[in-house]
Amino acid sequence: MPTGFHLRLPVTGGNPMIQIRIGRLAWQIGVHRNTVGNWIRTGALAARPIAGRRYAIEKNRLIRFLASRGVDEALAAEIAENCEPLRHRKEEEQPKQPPMKTKEVSMSNKTIGSVMVVGGGIASIQASLDLADSGYYVHLVEKNAGIGGRMAQLDKTFPTNDCAM
Amino acid sequence: MNINLLTLSEITGVAGEAGDFTVTVRKKPRYIDMDKCIACGICAEKCPKLVSDEYNAGTARRKSAYIQYGQTVPLKYAIDPDTCIFIQKGKGKCLACEKFCPTGAINFQDKEELLEFNVGAVILSPGHKSFDPSGIDFYGYKTIPDVLTGLEYERMLSPSGPVRGHLEKPSSGKTPENIAWIQCVGSRNTNQCDNGYCSSVCCMYAMKQALVTETHIPGGGRQTIFFMDMRCHGKEFELYYNYATERGIRFIRARPHTIEPGPGGSGVAMEYFTEDGRKVREEFDLTVLSTGLEAPRDAIDLAEKTGIRLSPYRFAETGGFEPVFSSKEGIYIGGSFAGPMNIPTAVANASAAAGQAARALVSARNTLTKQKTYPPEFNLTGQKPKIGVFVCSCGVNIAATVDVNALVDYAKTLPGVAYAENNLFSCSTDAQKQLADVIRKQNLNRVVIAACSPRTHEPLFQDTLMEQGINGYLVEMANIRNHNAWVHQKNPEQATQKAKDQVRMAVAKAQTLYPLERMEVPVVGRSLVIGGGVAGMSAALGLADQGYDTVLVEHSGELGGNAKNLHTTARGEPIRPMLDKMIRDVQNHPKIDALTNARVLNATGSVGHFESDIEAGGETRRISYGAAVLATGASESVPDEYRYGTDDRVYTHLGFDRLMTETPEKAAAAGSAVFIQCVGSRDEKRPWCSRLCCTHSVKAALDLKEKNPEMDVFILYRDMRTYGLNEDLYTRARNAGVLFIRYDLENKPQVAAEGDDLIVRVFDPVSRKKIAIDTDLLILAAAVVPNNVEELVNIYRCATNQDGFLNEAHPKLRPVDMAADGLFVAGIGAYPKPIGESISQAQAAASRAGAILAQPVMHLDAIKSHVTQYCDGCAICLDACPYDAISITTHAQNGRTAKRVETDKALCKGCGICQAACPKGGILVHGFTIEQLQAQVHAALDLPQAMTAS
Repeated sequence: MPTGFHLRLPVTGGNPMIQIRIGRLAWQIGVHRNTVGNWIRTGALAARPIAGRRYAIEKNRLIRFLASRGVDEALAAEIAENCEPLRHRKEEEQPKQPPMKTKEVSMSNKTIGSVMVVGGGIASIQASLDLADSGYYVHLVEKNAGIGGRMAQLDKTFPTNDCAM
Repeated sequence: MNINLLTLSEITGVAGEAGDFTVTVRKKPRYIDMDKCIACGICAEKCPKLVSDEYNAGTARRKSAYIQYGQTVPLKYAIDPDTCIFIQKGKGKCLACEKFCPTGAINFQDKEELLEFNVGAVILSPGHKSFDPSGIDFYGYKTIPDVLTGLEYERMLSPSGPVRGHLEKPSSGKTPENIAWIQCVGSRNTNQCDNGYCSSVCCMYAMKQALVTETHIPGGGRQTIFFMDMRCHGKEFELYYNYATERGIRFIRARPHTIEPGPGGSGVAMEYFTEDGRKVREEFDLTVLSTGLEAPRDAIDLAEKTGIRLSPYRFAETGGFEPVFSSKEGIYIGGSFAGPMNIPTAVANASAAAGQAARALVSARNTLTKQKTYPPEFNLTGQKPKIGVFVCSCGVNIAATVDVNALVDYAKTLPGVAYAENNLFSCSTDAQKQLADVIRKQNLNRVVIAACSPRTHEPLFQDTLMEQGINGYLVEMANIRNHNAWVHQKNPEQATQKAKDQVRMAVAKAQTLYPLERMEVPVVGRSLVIGGGVAGMSAALGLADQGYDTVLVEHSGELGGNAKNLHTTARGEPIRPMLDKMIRDVQNHPKIDALTNARVLNATGSVGHFESDIEAGGETRRISYGAAVLATGASESVPDEYRYGTDDRVYTHLGFDRLMTETPEKAAAAGSAVFIQCVGSRDEKRPWCSRLCCTHSVKAALDLKEKNPEMDVFILYRDMRTYGLNEDLYTRARNAGVLFIRYDLENKPQVAAEGDDLIVRVFDPVSRKKIAIDTDLLILAAAVVPNNVEELVNIYRCATNQDGFLNEAHPKLRPVDMAADGLFVAGIGAYPKPIGESISQAQAAASRAGAILAQPVMHLDAIKSHVTQYCDGCAICLDACPYDAISITTHAQNGRTAKRVETDKALCKGCGICQAACPKGGILVHGFTIEQLQAQVHAALDLPQAMTAS
């Protein structure tokens, strides 16, 4: 793949706010999800709810709490390390580091010859095929496990009553 | 190859600016290794957890390990972490999938990844969401079992759906016979929900479902559609409506106000008022709510992440003249995220978005893409045919009828067959890999695929062969699905016998196949655009900005077309300044050669390398080009009724727009104005709906009310078709006091001059009285008629529909391509449409044409005619050839001159008519020679293969 730089966002040091998910945390430390839910509800685990069924907590606080519940400290640290940092919109708009340029784009500093297409329905598929045929690399992002979107759910389409597939 | 497919992924942020964005993507774990998964389905079979299936709109259940549907791309299973027992409950639980997966593809260590991509542009086409009516209690959705949404019913009709297309009432399991549809559920409604717009697609899908339902119920059943206005505003939609009426679908103009469970809790009882005021109670077996489209659930989130603005309905905001531009530079909107729209409009919009992105990134074209290369071909001369037979089960499509194992065993006994096997889906990625492995290991040099149609799948298998260094023309397909399994479902034994015959024939032909070479034709990087209206100019600008020289041919003396006479768009944007700028841009563009008073005289060649003579201003010049866009436009018809032409108070739309532009004070002085819709449309002579007139009249009525709020404004209509977001204008007009009166084709308004007064008489269906309106202005919504394109149709051998509009290649999926490769259609020459849609379609045509012009060479199919030594120049084939691809030549032979024919490979389409016409085998078509066809016929009749030795 030509634009092959998939990098994990760097996790900053210190004691940043991180995001946790109940089910994930429960699975990682081998307890029931309701247990984690109860910790949060009772305030034992001082995490506040944020968007997307996630909770925000200070990293060190999470490690300390887990250790207090008998989780191996190294494991607790690892879990905390792998949690996504809580990011504010303002931060998001500034990349953490200058975007890397791949060799292929060295001829132009301003214009990148690839396009991100968001969605995997019939419109996205059409846009992606047109762009790929016209000489642009396409990244197609689909939130489901497969592409096809709404049209794949249709039985037939008029006026020809063709099978939508 | 140049598309990186990221599934289970969402964008989390966009930074940077147009040309150089950094997009972060969160890729969720699939828990199944895509490289190892062979889509055998065992994980789903063994998974004990049943959950609601979104693909079937919740009408069926799937496992926690799943694929969305049989043809999913990529065809790889996934585990749903929200329901998986192991992921939710942890250590020691379940793990059935891991235990049974034959390839060890299950990976519970899979982690979420954050990826970052550097891209030049972003196209947002997340689609829409179906309206959920459960919040509106009176529809009875979720409380009455036999009330379904449109999407649920669609799944019910589908052979891949929960009941495999055998309709049943959810309450009792019996076949429903009496089904009702209720239109505008979640659309045109600001009372129970906030969707004031029209969803634009539901009238048509309800009609389609009603017609398809007929074929699913023994005896046809009875279908009723309750509607407010039937909005059949697309190409040939009105014909479909007429057809549905003829087929006996009952259309009732009413909104049922009471919806209750039927007797005994089964079925649905409804009450509604008919137009003449009678209250009716009726019982139905099943009720389908024609649920509308809404902005996607994550629209706001997406807008925040990307920094684009949304409209009040949470659709993406776009410009009236820039239909795919978001409010942020470098981010484009494709498909129904811009507002509710049907499939062809969404596809065209998406192409337009791709075209605009390509236009912006033209300096970086081809910097990141790769061209596919193939290894050199093995020389097979002198090798005996070693044939591999691959029998596809096509899931259950073939295997349920044809005994595929018996077929494989049979194939192994055929002469020349070195290997035979069965695949679940021969076309799947893993089967292709397996095919390649077998070819290498077994040293195969011919392949027979017993599966589906070569029309759709031959290129795929050819590609696999070529990747293995084997000529792509050494594959033969036996269509045991479409020609056999699908049509003989009731006779599996005979179907298996027929499949054996088909495979025997294919093997016999495969023995005689020889390698063919594809001709390469360099693509001329120039385009031709026919028509200098808004659509033609938009297409020309789109192509020229992508770097292609463009010749624009306009038959009249100046550019601009119909737009010259238009006042404003539906949103109120003045058209003239935009048009003037567009004309200036076209005239000043270094890559556009705009010819007025010009016409195309002829055309030869095919996609990638056309040539035409063009006459412009008395001179003729010859140009070559790789692709052409036909934007031939349409005109306003001249009404022959309602006193048009005899009374100067009667205007057409264009005439009225001129009045509004030139002397608006004259229009504002009128005390009353009447609009009559469908003047010359939707009747016997012109059965189509002109699509743009409803919106245009409503906008004009609002303009009049704004200039003079005291004016009495009436709109006489048959169905108000202010589709999509234009519905807001209709609402605004009613709020402003514009009076809407519906009339029928049988009861048209009458216009008479009585003294100095112009009187319009019409029957008002609400008061049930005939009323007379004394008016100062009468504006007729005259039909849009396509310009005469007969000459071009002959030149390019393309086609129009029965109404004279240019035809597209496929009404849904290829809305701007024409059936002839390399030709594209845009604007109102294809069908009436407002200016924004014309621009979007033109940009789409430019994008599609650009994709052809971007190729350095076109590979022509190698299935072409060739002349043999037996030709004696009798020239019978010359007249037979429909493509003028054959010509006659003379050459010296033993001191005498002899005649022979020659074929032009670029023009030949390989149709085979010449071969059939030739009495002496003097001209043959590669891949279908007489010898090859004979081999097949002999095999079919089980004759000895004596004739085929050569």
